[in-house]
This record gives sequence, structure tokens and C-alpha cells, in this order.
Amino acid sequence: MTEDIRALSAQYAADPSSLVFLRLAEALRQRGQLEPALKIALSGLNRYPHLPDAHDLYARILADRRDYASAFDEWDTVLRLAPHHIGAHKGIGFLYYRAGEPEHALYHLRVAAELDPGDEGLRAAVERVAGGREIWDVPLPVSPPVRDAETRVAPAPAAGDPFTGVEGAGQRLLLVDRDGLRLGGALAAHGGRDVSEETAASLAGVVQEAERAARLLELGEWDHLTIEGTALSACLLCPTADTSLLATMDPGHPVGQLAFYAERGAKEARAWLERAR
Amino acid sequence: MTDAYAAPLDSLTRLRGIRGAMVVAAQDGLVVAESLMGGVKGTPLAALAANLAARVIELSARAAVGEPRFVHLQAQDGSLLVAPAAEELLLVAVAGRDVPLGLIRLEMLRLAERLA
Amino acid sequence: MRAIEPWVVTPLRSFVEESSARLALLMTTSGQVVAQHGFTGALDLMAAAALGTGIIASSGELALLMDWTPFRTVAHQGQRQSHFLGWFDTPHGRWVALVVFGGETKLGLVQVYFDQLVVELLAAAPPAPVQKQEVLAADFERELNASLRALFGR
Repeated sequence: MTEDIRALSAQYAADPSSLVFLRLAEALRQRGQLEPALKIALSGLNRYPHLPDAHDLYARILADRRDYASAFDEWDTVLRLAPHHIGAHKGIGFLYYRAGEPEHALYHLRVAAELDPGDEGLRAAVERVAGGREIWDVPLPVSPPVRDAETRVAPAPAAGDPFTGVEGAGQRLLLVDRDGLRLGGALAAHGGRDVSEETAASLAGVVQEAERAARLLELGEWDHLTIEGTALSACLLCPTADTSLLATMDPGHPVGQLAFYAERGAKEARAWLERAR
Repeated sequence: MTDAYAAPLDSLTRLRGIRGAMVVAAQDGLVVAESLMGGVKGTPLAALAANLAARVIELSARAAVGEPRFVHLQAQDGSLLVAPAAEELLLVAVAGRDVPLGLIRLEMLRLAERLA
Repeated sequence: MRAIEPWVVTPLRSFVEESSARLALLMTTSGQVVAQHGFTGALDLMAAAALGTGIIASSGELALLMDWTPFRTVAHQGQRQSHFLGWFDTPHGRWVALVVFGGETKLGLVQVYFDQLVVELLAAAPPAPVQKQEVLAADFERELNASLRALFGR
């Protein structure tokens, strides 16, 4: 244990309600001690639920644990509390870059770079994401770019929809109950035709087969099922024991990004179901 | 094992983490050719993979996903991977945890194309 | 589902659910029905039992004639429906299973769950009777009628 952590631990022990938890958890995170870091960050977050830095810290730990969907949500919370939070813009920029969405990544990294013009590393990151394009002379848009898919199809989600505010809501995320009835979200085919109801009806059968295959082949509990189709890619998972969710993307997107997107949808669905129940 | 299938299955099972690979008749879920490590049972693997593929094909048609090229069931302790190959044939593999899935996926897509 | 032997019910019910079979019939090699699922008429059941055991017997004879190992299972696949026949030995003698299934499942899966059914039946079977009673033709018909009454509740 370094002197630093020892000293910070002593301070934290002496006064657990102080803000020293931010420094201690960050020091532990940097040393790769993610479990104690997480414990301390969560206890701090309980005391200071409206402190942007506490959410930022928690998001960094989640990102280190590769729980990118939850990390995204935490940084999103930070930006709601503090729209000019550099760490949150950097974090979200990193996640978008990782998910293969360079335009979104570029927007957030540029916001961060403008907030902290002295950060050379950040400037280098912006230039790398821009891929050699001239970037600094182009004015920064006032809001993040809108994706093509979002403008392409389908009606806006209804009020009370679990995926309101999530990219692709109303066309690329569908939540279904165990009887194959649509709970929320919608799926649209290319051209905008709504295929939600017919898709919902056959989801339960796939879930049942996935469960059976994983059980009988002794693969443990199944996590998700991805389908790479000629027209779309799809990812199926179960946000709760009695619901299933299908997320779709255009086939050009990386497969890893699809699972990430579906997990984000599942998280929204869980929160929505909890509220609804 | 038929020569036509022996080489593709061997090249797949040489990849790290693959516990078994097989060619399966899609319509009845029976084994056409297999290359399995000890402990992996071919009959259930073929049957379950074919049933899952049938359900996925039905879902894909309804959800306008198009024809499935690759299906990946990710579970806690491993994965079941299915690539429809020639008409009525499926290339199936079962893999353990922490395997190079990207590489396996590419190899299966390549072999499925070759079988077709 | 109806069964002459109550210990057969749980394994057979599980088999039908898991395999998605439309009809299932368990019988002895003499055609005496032990349990059934899905048959609605006694005549259908009797005919299916007789024909099923006949197929198993004739394919066994064919195997003997050709010096092959007797087939343990036989499947006939149709466009809309298929059937599967398999035999296995129990403490109560050799039994035959006849399974009719459609497009909602596959032969491979029926085979997998048939293997499981056999394991479960053997685990649930009570010990064999000490002295096996010879079945006479007259007794056989009486037993058959009694089993049909039990299976159809009349």
C-alpha cells in the first residue's frame, strides 16, 4: 500500500462523511483495486447523490470494470448535473469512440478540449478521432450529431415508453413480456414498416430455445444472443426473468457495439419496469 | 467423416477455445460430420443448434433482419456458434470462455461460404 | 395423459413437454399399452400400438437377416408429420415408444429427449416382479381391454 493510500484511508476512517472518499477511491482505482474503490465510491455517492464528481468517479470505476452501459448512464447523469463537466465529456467521448461512433466521440472530446484548452493529451485524442481531418477551424456544433438511423423511420415513441431518450427508440428497441406481448419500444424494417407485433410473437420461442441450449450444453446461464442478418443485426437478451428485449442495428456497425447498445436498452427497461411495478 | 467436411472442421477445432465443431442437417437436427473434444456430446449439440437456428430464422423473417449469416449464443461458461452453410446445412461450434470470438467468427463465416 | 403404470407419468410428461411431441405411446413388445399422450380414440391407439410394435419387430428381423446390429430407433419423416419408434429394456421387459411429431420440433431433439426418457424411466421403475407371469392369449386380450379402459377412462 502506498503512503498516499494509507494516509487517505486514515483520513477516510477518521471522517467517512468527508469528501476524501473521492481521492481515496480514485487512488485505489488507479492501482487497479476496483472492488474497494467501488465500495468507497458507492458509499460516498449515497452521502452525496447530487455531487457530479462522485458520479464521475463511479463512472470511471464502472468503465474500468467494463460495465460500459452503466458508466455511460453515470456520465450522462453528471452532464445533467453539470453540463460543463470535463471528465464526463471525456468519458462519454471515450465510450462513443470505443463503440465505433467517431462523430459522437469527437463532439464530446472537443467540448472537453474547449473547456480545458491546456490539456495536450486531450487535443491529441481529438485529432486522432478526427482521423487527420482539419478539426480546430470547424466550429463546434451546439448539440451532438444526430444519427442517420434516427431520422430515417417510424413514429416517435409513445409517452411512458421505456426507451424514451435512448437513441433509436421507436424503431430499434423492443421490449416484450413472457407471453410475446409488446410492453414498449418498437421495431421498424428498412423503409419504416412497423414489425413490432409480429416480432414480439416469436421472441418467446427463441428465448426458450436459448435457455434450453445453454442448459443442456452446460454453458451456464445464457447472457445474450446475437444474430447477424443480411438486412440487420439483432441482439436478444432478457432484462428481467419475465421480459425479453430485441435491439437491432444496421449490419455495418461492429457486433460488439450491438451488445453494448442492447445492454443499455436493458438497463432502461429494468428501470422502467421497476417504476411501472 | 466425409472428406469434404473433415478439413473445414479440423481447421475450426484447431482454434483456441473451440471444444467441438460439426456440420448439422438443419431440417432434422442430426449430425452430418463432427470433430468433438472428449466430453462434448454430438447428438444434443446438433439437435439444440438446429432447433435454435430454426427459431432464429423465424424471428429474423418477422423482425426484417434478413437471412441469418451468423448466430452467437453467449453464456456464462461458453458460447454456441452457428453459421448457416449450404442449403439445409449448419456449421456449428461450441467454445469455452475467454476465447478469440472475433477470429472464430471470421473462420466460421469463411468455412460456411466454402461449404456452400 | 393416461398411464397404466403411475411411475411412468412424470418422465413421459416431461418428455412430451420438452420434445414438443404431438402424440406419444409407450407399450410392451406385445402391443400392450403402458401410457399414452394425445390419442383421442381407442381404435387409433390400438392400431398404432399394433403397427408400431410390428415395425420394430420387422426391422429387428431384417437386421438379424442381414447380420446387422438391431436398430434401436426407426424414424419415418413426412412433410407435415413424422414418427419415431425406439425400443429399450426395462426391469419389466422390453418396451417400445412411438412418438409422432411435427414441424415445431426436430428428429434430433426427439432423439435426445427419448434417451433422457429411457434414463428417467429406468430410474423410476420399481423392481421387476420375482416371477414373471406368462401372458396367455385370453389374458392378453383382457389385459388389453383393461388397459384401454384405464387409458381412456371408460
